[in-house]
Amino acid sequence: MSNKAMVYSEVHQSGWGYYGLLAASAFLVGLGLIAFFYLEHTGHHATGMTNQIVWGLPHVFAIFLIVAASGALNIGSIGTVFNNKPYKPLGRLSGLLAIAFLIGGLMVLVLDLGHPDRLIIAMTHYNFKSIFAWNIILYNGFLALAALYIWTMMDRKMQRFYKPAGFAAFFWRLVLTTGTGSIFGFLVAREAYDSAIFGPLFILISFSLGLALFILITFGLFHWTHRTLNDELLTRKRYLLALFIGAVLFFEAIFHVTALYAAEHTNFETFILLGGSSYSVWFWLGHVVLGSIVPLFMLLLPMCRGRVRSLLMASGLVVVGSFIQLYVIIIGGQAYPLTLFPNADVSSSFFDGVINTYSPSIWELMLGVGGVGVAAVMIVIGVKVLRFLPVSLAQADLGQEPD
Amino acid sequence: MSTNQVNEYRRRFMAGLGLVTGATLASNFVLRSTEAAELVSRPDNEPASSAKRWGMLIDVNRLTEGGAAMVEACKKEHGWGNDPQSSAEQQPQWMRVVKVTDKTTQHSFQLPVMCQHCANPPCVDVCPTGASMKRADGIVYVNKHICIGCRYCMMACPYKARSFVHEPLKDQKVHSPRGMGTVESCNMCVHRIDKGQLPACVEAAPEAVIFGDLNDPESRISQAMKALGGKQIRADLGLNTGVRYLNI
Amino acid sequence: MFSTLRSILWAVACVWVLVGCEAGPPPTNLAPAKEKAAQCVEPTQDIRKNHMAYLMKHRDETVLDGIRTPQHSLAECINCHVAPTRADGSPVHYEDQDHFCATCHTYAGVKLDCFQCHADRPEVTNQPNYQHKIGSSESYHFTNQVSKAASLSAQDVKTLTNEVVQ
Repeated sequence: MSNKAMVYSEVHQSGWGYYGLLAASAFLVGLGLIAFFYLEHTGHHATGMTNQIVWGLPHVFAIFLIVAASGALNIGSIGTVFNNKPYKPLGRLSGLLAIAFLIGGLMVLVLDLGHPDRLIIAMTHYNFKSIFAWNIILYNGFLALAALYIWTMMDRKMQRFYKPAGFAAFFWRLVLTTGTGSIFGFLVAREAYDSAIFGPLFILISFSLGLALFILITFGLFHWTHRTLNDELLTRKRYLLALFIGAVLFFEAIFHVTALYAAEHTNFETFILLGGSSYSVWFWLGHVVLGSIVPLFMLLLPMCRGRVRSLLMASGLVVVGSFIQLYVIIIGGQAYPLTLFPNADVSSSFFDGVINTYSPSIWELMLGVGGVGVAAVMIVIGVKVLRFLPVSLAQADLGQEPD
Repeated sequence: MSTNQVNEYRRRFMAGLGLVTGATLASNFVLRSTEAAELVSRPDNEPASSAKRWGMLIDVNRLTEGGAAMVEACKKEHGWGNDPQSSAEQQPQWMRVVKVTDKTTQHSFQLPVMCQHCANPPCVDVCPTGASMKRADGIVYVNKHICIGCRYCMMACPYKARSFVHEPLKDQKVHSPRGMGTVESCNMCVHRIDKGQLPACVEAAPEAVIFGDLNDPESRISQAMKALGGKQIRADLGLNTGVRYLNI
Repeated sequence: MFSTLRSILWAVACVWVLVGCEAGPPPTNLAPAKEKAAQCVEPTQDIRKNHMAYLMKHRDETVLDGIRTPQHSLAECINCHVAPTRADGSPVHYEDQDHFCATCHTYAGVKLDCFQCHADRPEVTNQPNYQHKIGSSESYHFTNQVSKAASLSAQDVKTLTNEVVQ
C-alpha cells in the first residue's frame, strides 16, 4: 500500500461560477450593512421588535449561525478526537466553516445591539454572573482555538499540537453551546425557558445542524471545483445524522411532556403545542414533520439509504427544520405573556395577558441574511486563498493520511 | 338547635365581626400618609449606603382607578409615554395599571405594576456589562452609560418592568436622562430620594402608598408591614421585592 | 504617467493639509455663562482639555453612588453655558452649529454622545431659575445649597453677582 500523503490545494476556478457566488454573498453582506446603518441611525422603531417581543428575527439568525458554527467543528472532531481516519482530511474545512459561521452569527448579534458603538465596553466590563458575558469570552476563545486547530493542520511545525488543539476545541465548543442554550435556560421569568434542558438541547441541535450543513457544503464545494468525492464518505454519516435528529426530538419531547405534567404549565403548552397559536403549526409541520421525520425516513429507508441525493435532501430539510425550531423557541417563547398572577386573567396598557404578535420587518431579514452573507464570503474567499480543500477524496485516498 | 346554642353562635359571630372591623379600621391609622420628615436629604457628597433599603407598600383598596394618578405622575416626572415614532407595542411604560380577575372566583382588582426593586434581581444577574445594577440602598436601575442595548434584562424580568427606547429622543427631563438604544425602567425617582423627597408616584397617591426604609424596623413602612403583611407579586420566585402590596 | 499622477496626488495632499491650517476652533459663545459667573468651575485651559475626564469621573460617582455634587455636574454645565432658546425663541439643540458644545466638537470632529440621553438645554418649565447664581438659595439643588449660601461673605456675593451689597 502506498503511503501517499493527502494533498490540499486552493480552489483554482476563477470563472463566472466562482465570482458569481462571491458577488451574491457580497450582495447579502451589503444588505446587512444597509440595514445596520439605517437602524443605527433611525432607531429600532423601524423593526418589528417591541417591548413585548424583545428578540426577533436577527436573534434567530444569530443563534442559528452560532449553533451551526459549533456543530461544523464536529467533523474535525470526528477525525481528531474520535480518531476516525477517513475524516481527518476534512478537518481544515470544518475549522474554516466553524470560524465563518461564528463570525457571521456574532456580526448579526452585535449589529442588532441598541448601542453597538459600546462594544468595547462589553469586551472590557464583565458581569461574571451573566451567562451572556461568559458567552462573549467563550465565542472569542472559540475563534482562537479553531484558528489554532487549523494552524496545527496546515503548518508542519505545529503538527505535534494537533491532538491537544483538537481536544481543546472540542471541549470548548461543548461549553460554548451549553452557554448559548443557557442564555434561555437561566431565565426564570418565562415559562418557555427556565429549564436545565436548554444547554444539552442546544448541543444536540448543533450536532444535527452542523453535520447537515457540513454535508451540504462539502458536497457543493467538491462538486463545483470538480474534485472527486467518494460518496460513501458522506453516506456513512447518515446513521449519525439520523441519531442526532432523533436525539433532538427526544430532548424536545422530554421538555414538553414534563411541562405538560405540571398544572402550572398547561396553558403555555396548549399555546405552543396543542394548536393554541400558529407556533404549533410551525412546530409540528415545520420542525417535527418536515425537519425531523421526513429526513429520518430519507436517511433510514432501504431504498433511500445508499443515495447521496436523499442524504442531501434530508440535510437540507434538517437545516430548514432547525431554523424553524429556533424560531419557535425564541419568538414563540416570548409571544406567550408573563404570568403575574397565576390562574387569573390580566389586562393592561402594556399588553399584559395577551398573546404578543410579531411581524418581522424587512430590515431584520436584511440584517440576518447579512450574517449569512459574511459567513459565505469568508468560506468562498478562504477556500480560494488557502489550502483548505483536499485535492481528491476518492476511494484509494481514504485512510492514507499520516498522523 | 337550642336557644343556648343559638346565643353561643351569635356571640361568636358578633365577636368575629367586631374583630374583622377593628382590624380593617386599624389599618387606617397605620397607613396615614407618610410624613416627609421621615426622609432626610442625604448630603450631596455622601454615597448611598446599604444601611437603608428603600421600599414601598401599596394598599390597592385605597387607590383610585388602580393607581392611574401614579402612572400619570411618573409620566410627567420622567417624560416617557409619548415617543412619537414608536408603535404602541414599542412605547416604553415604566409603570402601568394592571387589571386582575381571578378565573375561579371572578374577584377583580387593579394595581399599579412597576419595577419591583428586588433584593435578588434577575435583571442584574443577566446583564453582560453590569449596567443593570442595584445601588447600595436597594434601588434597581440601569446605568445607561454602559448599557449596550442587548435587551437581555428585558427577557429576564418577570414583571416586564423594563422598556427599550426605540427612537432618538429630544428635550429629555434634566433629572431623568433617557435615550435611544438603552433600556430603562422605574428607578424609584432616585433623584428625588437623594434630595429627601418622595417618589413622584407616592406623592400622587399619599393615602395609598407608604414609602420608607425597609431596613429600619421603627419606620412607618416596616411597622405597617409587620401589622398588615405585604404581598409580593410572584412571591414564589424568591426575589424579595422592595415593592409590596396589600389586598391583592 | 504614474509619476505625473504621483505629483498631482502630492500637490492635492499639500493643498489639503494647508487648507486645514486655520487659526483654530471658532470662539465659543460665553455670553450665557458670563451672566452667571466670571470664571468656570475649573480654569479655562484645564476645563477645555479635561472636561471629559471630569464628566466621566463624576458620572460614575453619581450613577453608582448617588453623589450629586454640582461642581462637575453635566446639568450645571448646561445650565450655565446653554441658553434654552435663541433670541427669536427657537429651541437650540446639540446638532445645531450655535449650540455651545457643538462649536468646538464639530471643529474637533468628536462625536457628542451625552445628549442622546441627557437634555442638551436647560429645562425652563421645571426650572425657571436655571440661571441661578452660584451658591444662591434658589438653585435646583436648593435643599443642599441653603446652608452654603449663608456662609458666603459679602465680598463673594459682590464678586459673583456684580451687585452692590447693602
